[in-house]
Amino acid sequence: MGELDSSLFEIVGPDYRTWEQPEQKPSLLFKLKQLPWIPIIILSTIVLGCIFANFISNHDPSMYYLNHLNEAPNSEFYFGTDSLGRDIYSLIWYGGRTSLLVGLLGTAMITILGITYGCVNGTAGTSGDMIMQRFVELFHSIPTILLAILLIAIMGTQNILTISVVIAITGWFALARIVRSEVRQIRNNEYVLAAKSMGSSFGHLVRVHLIPNIIPAIMFVVVSSISACITMEATLSFLGLGLPLDILSWGSMLSLANRALLLNTWWVIIIPGLFLVVTLSCITTIANCFRKETNKRPNRL
Amino acid sequence: MTLKHNLFLEKLLKNILLFVGAMFLLSIIVFVFSRLAPGDPLQAFYGDAIESMTTSELEAARVYLGLDGSIFSQYISWITHALSGNFGISLQYKIPAMDVIAPLIGNTLILGLTAYLLVFALAILLAIACALHEDTFFDRLVCKIGTITYFIPAFWLGLVLVLIFSVNLGWFPSSGAYDYGMSGNILNRIWHLILPLTVMIVTHIWYYAYMIRNKLLDENRKDYVLLAKAKGLTKRAIVWKHSLRNVAPTIINLMAISVPHVLGGTYIAEAVFNYPGIGNMSVIAAKCHDYNLLMLLVLITGALVIITSIVAYTINEVIDPRMKDAGGSTWEN
Repeated sequence: MGELDSSLFEIVGPDYRTWEQPEQKPSLLFKLKQLPWIPIIILSTIVLGCIFANFISNHDPSMYYLNHLNEAPNSEFYFGTDSLGRDIYSLIWYGGRTSLLVGLLGTAMITILGITYGCVNGTAGTSGDMIMQRFVELFHSIPTILLAILLIAIMGTQNILTISVVIAITGWFALARIVRSEVRQIRNNEYVLAAKSMGSSFGHLVRVHLIPNIIPAIMFVVVSSISACITMEATLSFLGLGLPLDILSWGSMLSLANRALLLNTWWVIIIPGLFLVVTLSCITTIANCFRKETNKRPNRL
Repeated sequence: MTLKHNLFLEKLLKNILLFVGAMFLLSIIVFVFSRLAPGDPLQAFYGDAIESMTTSELEAARVYLGLDGSIFSQYISWITHALSGNFGISLQYKIPAMDVIAPLIGNTLILGLTAYLLVFALAILLAIACALHEDTFFDRLVCKIGTITYFIPAFWLGLVLVLIFSVNLGWFPSSGAYDYGMSGNILNRIWHLILPLTVMIVTHIWYYAYMIRNKLLDENRKDYVLLAKAKGLTKRAIVWKHSLRNVAPTIINLMAISVPHVLGGTYIAEAVFNYPGIGNMSVIAAKCHDYNLLMLLVLITGALVIITSIVAYTINEVIDPRMKDAGGSTWEN
């Protein structure tokens, strides 16, 4: 029998269905619509405000206006003044620079530390893996804040760089654990074996094969560690262990909070805190986008 | 029977060894850290008096504070003293570090333990409520509030609560664990605990509730739940009697992992509310560079966390036969 000419046949009946290939890639516009625009806009406003602090602020942030102590928000001092007579509106923008910088610096160091340790740990042999894991677990058993307090007690007075180092040293364990488990999953794949047998070095293996594959898994942790770093800096500065008063940050502004409580000046506490919370929750919402979709199987309940 | 007994003893011994090993490592790390610190501990202890001391007096002072000899022999003498309960002298308070901390541990445990239990009890209830009403308005609201509240810094929440409820409304005290001379009065203590507990619960509950909710939802997608539903059980009964039971080991694991987290939260709450506990003391000790005190605080905290994780592991083995190690304890004995 020769070839069948399909035009000779026509399928009819109630079950007649055409099968179409489902749309494979969502369009760019659709992807853009999925992004959390409101947090992105708010966050970029705050970031831009901090970058251009010298244009936005209307007072010198480190100037003590001694005849305007503890003034409530008014037309000259938009957000009021604190117990040292500093203008809170200007402080917010200049302080944000430090807070965001500490967040980014800390995250950069956490990422480098976490990925390096995690990759070495993940590719190590059985006993090496166990020792490295126990080491991380041991440090994980001390609360982050206590570890930071211990380090600060040792290091003495803080500046932006040292406090970022302290925050990074106390904050990389979780990331290292995730990287380790991801690397252990990847390292048994054929392409890693192929690369190894072709004689690629450890550094090349990590750079070309491991890191590109673990990025989706660690993106959420990396982005949300920006907010973790900012929170840590604020907490330490509030406790009087972080940045001193003359290095402006949202945390060091809040270290005047105890005095503000006695004077009942709410704006000193609420306004920097609100900026902190809004920034942190924006970063978290954006970080959530990087999360893998959870399972969509039907609920049996 | 004897075999079972032996297995239990063996396991206990293994856990104790694990604990001792971890504490030993922790003590080395902490000791090296504290000796790396710049600044002379002698200066911290004696202040300016050090300038008028003779060489022999200085030498005697070094021996008194355990600062003579190499770092190795210093560690040996420190650990032998530590084993007999002598953790050195607090550089700031000039009395043994243990005496400074002993009265504070109880306060911290009261706050920490209450917060810990409340956080998990409420988190489980909230998680069940969310799992029963998945994807409804209530569920989404809880998740939304959770993601935002999780990143409110604990210390700021504490400040806001003090500002509202004690400075302006005057309902609750802003600091301390009890009013002067009322340390035995339970009602007075509870009254002081309310604000710190609120901070602890609000900042911790969402994360754990969310984790437990997701675990419950995963469990609800399994086939046995469909079977239970086909048998005609109500949703509520399925979640309480079947899903929750199967999630229990995960919850206990989560509780074990969360100990350092909740303890860290307790320390911050203590510092904000000036609550006389070891968290507040560690901040004071850090400000005064009181290393002996800090070392002891870290060791106590580490011991607490390691013990809880061992306990949690043991509980899990008891309630979940799937977690048992090799040893064939299922049918051989």
